[in-house]
Amino acid sequence: METTTSGHNQAGYVPPPDVIDRSETYGSVTNLIGSIPLEPRIRPGWITGFLVGFALLQVMLLSVTYLLVHGTGVWGLNIPVGWGFAIVNFVWWVGIGHAGTLISAILLLLKQDWRMAIARFSEAMTLFAVACAGVFPVLHTGRPWLAFWLLPYPNSMQIWPQFRSPLLWDVFAISTYATVSILFWYVGLIPDLATMRDRAKNKLIKYIYGTLALGWRGSAWHWHRYEIASLTLAGLATPLVVSVHTIVSFDFAVSVIPGWHTTIFPPYFVAGAVYSGFAMVLTLLIPLRSYYGLQSVVTMRHIHNCAKVMLATGLIVGYGYSMEIFIAWYSGVEYEQFMLITERMTGPYALQYWALIFCNVITPQFLWFRGVRENLVLLWILTIVVNIGMWLERYVIVVISLHRDYLPSSWDMYSGTVWDWGLYIGTLGLFTTLIFLFIRVLPMIAIFEVRMLLPDAQKSEEKKA
Amino acid sequence: MTREGTLKSLHPVSEQWRSLDELSGTSEAETFAASEFPAAWDEVPTGQARRDFLKVMSASMSLAGLGACVRQPEEKIVPYVKQPEDVIPGKPRYYATSFTRGGYGFGVLAESHQGRPTHVEGNPDHPGSLGATDPSIQASVLELWDPERSSTVIRRGKPASWDTFAKEVLPSLEKIASDGGQGFRVLTGAVSSPSLATLIRSLRMRFPNAQWHQWEPIHRDEVQLGSELAFGDIKEIRYNFAGAHTILTVDADIMTDAPGRLAYARQVMSRRGQGGDTGLRTYAVESYPTSTGTVADHRFQAKASEMGTFLSDVAHELGVDGVGPGHSPLEAEAKAVAKDLKRGGNTSAVVVGDHLPAEVHLLGLAINSFLTSLGTIVEVTEPVHIHPQYKLASIEQLTKDAKEGQVQCLIVLDANPVYNAPSHLDFAQVYEEHIPLRIHAGLYQDETARVSHWHLPLSHYLETWGDVRAYDGTVSIVQPLIAPLYDSKSTHEILALFGGELSAKAADLVKGYWEAVSQGGDFEAKWNRALHDGFMADTRLEHIPYPVSEAANKVKMPPSEEGLEVVFRPCPNVYDGRYANNAWLQETPRPLSRVVWDNAIYMSPKTAEHLKVKNDELVRLTVGDKTVEGPVWVMPGAAKDVLTVHLGYGRTHGGEVLKGAGFSAYPLIESSKVAFGARVASVKRTYEVVTVQDHWTLQGRNHVRHATESEYRANPDFAQEPKKHVLPLSLYPDYEYTGRAWGMTIDLGACNGCNACMVACQSENNIPVVGKAQVAKGREMHWIRIDRYFEGDVEEPKFSFQPMTCMHCERAPCEPVCPANATVHGPEGLNQMVYNRCIGTRYCSNNCPYKVRRFNFHLYADWDSESLKAQRNPDVTVRGRGVMEKCTYCIQRIKEVTIQAKVDDHERIPDGKIRTACQSACPTDAIAFGDINDPNSKVAKLKKLPVNYTVLEELNVAPRTSYLAAVSNPNPELGEDSPKVKAHGNHH
Repeated sequence: METTTSGHNQAGYVPPPDVIDRSETYGSVTNLIGSIPLEPRIRPGWITGFLVGFALLQVMLLSVTYLLVHGTGVWGLNIPVGWGFAIVNFVWWVGIGHAGTLISAILLLLKQDWRMAIARFSEAMTLFAVACAGVFPVLHTGRPWLAFWLLPYPNSMQIWPQFRSPLLWDVFAISTYATVSILFWYVGLIPDLATMRDRAKNKLIKYIYGTLALGWRGSAWHWHRYEIASLTLAGLATPLVVSVHTIVSFDFAVSVIPGWHTTIFPPYFVAGAVYSGFAMVLTLLIPLRSYYGLQSVVTMRHIHNCAKVMLATGLIVGYGYSMEIFIAWYSGVEYEQFMLITERMTGPYALQYWALIFCNVITPQFLWFRGVRENLVLLWILTIVVNIGMWLERYVIVVISLHRDYLPSSWDMYSGTVWDWGLYIGTLGLFTTLIFLFIRVLPMIAIFEVRMLLPDAQKSEEKKA
Repeated sequence: MTREGTLKSLHPVSEQWRSLDELSGTSEAETFAASEFPAAWDEVPTGQARRDFLKVMSASMSLAGLGACVRQPEEKIVPYVKQPEDVIPGKPRYYATSFTRGGYGFGVLAESHQGRPTHVEGNPDHPGSLGATDPSIQASVLELWDPERSSTVIRRGKPASWDTFAKEVLPSLEKIASDGGQGFRVLTGAVSSPSLATLIRSLRMRFPNAQWHQWEPIHRDEVQLGSELAFGDIKEIRYNFAGAHTILTVDADIMTDAPGRLAYARQVMSRRGQGGDTGLRTYAVESYPTSTGTVADHRFQAKASEMGTFLSDVAHELGVDGVGPGHSPLEAEAKAVAKDLKRGGNTSAVVVGDHLPAEVHLLGLAINSFLTSLGTIVEVTEPVHIHPQYKLASIEQLTKDAKEGQVQCLIVLDANPVYNAPSHLDFAQVYEEHIPLRIHAGLYQDETARVSHWHLPLSHYLETWGDVRAYDGTVSIVQPLIAPLYDSKSTHEILALFGGELSAKAADLVKGYWEAVSQGGDFEAKWNRALHDGFMADTRLEHIPYPVSEAANKVKMPPSEEGLEVVFRPCPNVYDGRYANNAWLQETPRPLSRVVWDNAIYMSPKTAEHLKVKNDELVRLTVGDKTVEGPVWVMPGAAKDVLTVHLGYGRTHGGEVLKGAGFSAYPLIESSKVAFGARVASVKRTYEVVTVQDHWTLQGRNHVRHATESEYRANPDFAQEPKKHVLPLSLYPDYEYTGRAWGMTIDLGACNGCNACMVACQSENNIPVVGKAQVAKGREMHWIRIDRYFEGDVEEPKFSFQPMTCMHCERAPCEPVCPANATVHGPEGLNQMVYNRCIGTRYCSNNCPYKVRRFNFHLYADWDSESLKAQRNPDVTVRGRGVMEKCTYCIQRIKEVTIQAKVDDHERIPDGKIRTACQSACPTDAIAFGDINDPNSKVAKLKKLPVNYTVLEELNVAPRTSYLAAVSNPNPELGEDSPKVKAHGNHH
């Protein structure tokens, strides 16, 4: 690989780090990754993190219970601001859930070898983020126990859902996305589950992994079918990467509310989703890789690439913000101009708006610098800032647009209550809990895929070619 | 002679008992009590009556399961529209009866669902109502069903019974009676009920020296004194603006705070609507913005103490003999007004506010006399009230007598003097310490009840018999729709009790009186007619051309005062505090300030700046040596240095609803409703005053459109400007309406922001009350709201009102976004809300550009209070938690008529047959509703007017409700100050 890159060596050019430490071998990689779920001791770091997540999960249970007992009135919602934290959080979580599929599907099709080490982990993160997102659309309804009416099932009343409603499109988009993501993730897990089965000493654990491995024996036929299934699923998942957040953006774009009614929303939402997804991948990956000593598999190459994707999507998002403003001005519509210029920039929520601009437009500019990308502490802080920024973006879109629309008589203010925060923090707990469980019981990196990156494997590939 | 002197010398208070015979022309009245009438249901029913009996029984039985509190009244009452044999379960019936406030009656038609009164509407044939209502009339239904109403006799705080009361109290009265009854006193409010007055009078047979005192905190002493000074005796002064061309109101709110307010509002505003052009011009000088002033063609701001000098300026300019100029700050305006008044001649009139001194009233009469409008616009009649007293003098006398130990027994009949008597009398203390036997009768166990020996529960007007006169003297019979819910008696029955008639029935007492005074003819027929119509024919008091005394021109105006002055006004919602426990009224935003659940110290922005106080800041307000504490609320349009405080708050007893609502300003009131030399000091704390509208201006947007008459003439299409290029494009095919298509117009030229529609809608559509805390969060539930905007200078703004409710858009943005299909388009164009299907995503509300949808964030409807269940309209779903709701165009009323039309096999429904609740309630006919597919319907015709426009037409949602732009008629001489929309006070 060195030979291929050295040809382009120019003054000041530093070749990117390798996707895998060249000293690793088949055995060492398997050992490195496969031993984590099987190690008998519970690491203090893991138990601490898990307990923090689990404690926050209890906040969620409490918040949900309180909500179900008292109604959505426990939140800060009102008329005109009928959507608040719940929808902000929903869009935020769905956005975070974007990185996994993008990495595993699109990068697979694009034959990007750096995806292999982080795909499994990102997909898991996607699933958990979508699970957190899924909490909100159901719970934010006034009567969550009737939320199944959103499903088009034949019923004695002969009532169908409203197929014109973007919320219904959401139901299909999110559920499809979740289904395909789970399948993709699970199919990708099968060879490794078999490895775990083979390595496990404890009978029960062996039995569980064995069951989950669905009788994988690593035969050529198995690998052949695996490759076909994997490619097919990647093909199916690819449009979903784009469609999910496009449809989520329709929730807003289809409406008549200034600040929502914008055709730029689909691309800008997708870009924003990838942006926040990669930020979250890095947020989790940077500490994990050092805690579990995975630097040889998740190298600086991965970190660099993720940061570059963030920079690119961050620039797209910034472009989206400026286009929103430009089109509002260009449209000549007084309500649009009022909302996107006067109200966002100088209204009562101007602080949130400018904080958003700082987090999402100013912050990623630091990623132009190699030094920043290589400084893991700084980069980690930066990803947190971006995640906050993306949350603020949804807050600005949802709350500011609603709080002052057409008739000044109906304007009102909104702020989240302790129960709004409770449920948000609770889903962070759910997410953390699931992530910690995942890294404890499943190989967080695809062992077989990473092994394909080893020099030995590369050589045999070349031979084949 | 001083004013007090004049007042007292003219009316020695001891001369209490005036003959009623001169009114009735008979002495038979005294014997009425002897006559007895069998109650209708006492007879053994046979034949048709038996069928009725069974029906009523079955209805009662079925209702017993619901609330166990609905009983039919025993006496026969006559339905307004249909005969009793037509009782069909599920079909409401309407009975004419009369609502009373301050001794003036307002004819209403009460809607009864199987014996349960659920809603009231105005009686179109009644002169005091003309088919309209106001918020307090609408809310009286809730008062009837209020679970906190007094339900039992209370003896020193412990439940007792009428029997114990009769046994313990009546014998003790013998002693008082034995020495002539000098110590026996009755305290009532203003009374215009002939039968009640006769009852009070008949007590004199037992207690020859007893005295009848009257107290109304919102009294009209100054008006009475003005009329007495002008005509030599107390007269009623009323108005007929139907033919008026120029009206000047001097701090007078003729449309929401006058005995004839509903009629006046109709006479004035219905002529201003539909593009105007009526030749009517109204001027208002005000110390605080009211419904009357804010819709006037010209509104000037002056302190209450400057009103006299202003009127002097007007009189001087007119050339009224002997009146010198007052040199008020508004002298120039006064001149222009005078010119206009003079031009109008006998079609001009001056109206003076009740709280202004008698001298100003006298001068007002002198001007009206000079204009020769007495008899045309201003009508002077014998008093409507029976035995009108000066309320202040009367209660002063009572307190004085009590202090001197002359009062042995005081019966407080439907009054609450412990709460609202003038502060200098220390009434509460005198009452408790100096009166040995204190008996209170009222709807609630209020402040007075608490310190009385006995509290007697009073029957509500919807559950008992009575009679009352309207502002023009027309007599109405109050007939019950339901037997008393509790063990209560009516005022009539209680008085009869003291007269020794232990089991007299109000029905017999009232009917007996009228039979006794009836002159010839078939009494039963006349009686039934009166019950059916809601009033007695030919009982109107006619104008008598009394000459105005010469002295009127020489009256000396009280000088205007320096410094801060406080004007105490009745609250537009809870009045003097008697409706404070009515949650509908508490939650209805006060007009203009749009504050709910509280009163405040209202002042202009400059005054607040000068006093260095701001909204929500608690201040100590001191007048003389009395101090109250209340929050500040800045009110554009208030005159500088005038603090306005609404009365009726800060109550402590009489229910849970009223607790914590506002502060009482009564401690500051002595003799006048205007107090001078007030001081304000911040206490450095805040109190959250909640308003439903935080924003003052339209932000330069054109939702409310208006023009002056000359602008309108020059450009009749002004309301269509600026032209928006709207392509009626839609992704989805438009709906087609081959049959009916419902639509509405709201006339901004006619709306005076009185809120009647809001409460009518609440009553009709079972709209829950959410409480102050929820309103503070922006969760009020009203389906129709009155948006209020200020324009121009924040110190002297122009006002506009815009009733806003579901627009029933043709391409409704709410419909396609609901994922559950819970809001759908009806075949007749209604935007329908299917509560059962709603899962509460709130997307529909988010996507509503008018934000007229309301969401049940919690379980707002009271599902537990038994009595409130009976209040509800059975035709309208009571919504649960998590469900969206909104205006339905009163679909239940539409369906009632359309279904009947189908049954009767005539598809065509006559225009006007369906009236929405808001439309029915509106005193000014601002709302029209009907089939827009019928080119002859009123609403279709109005929609063709050039002033017709839709709000936010550029959104292409095609609302079914459109607005008629207001056209004002300002005086060119005062400068054509065309109200250009200016953004001021962006947010405060």
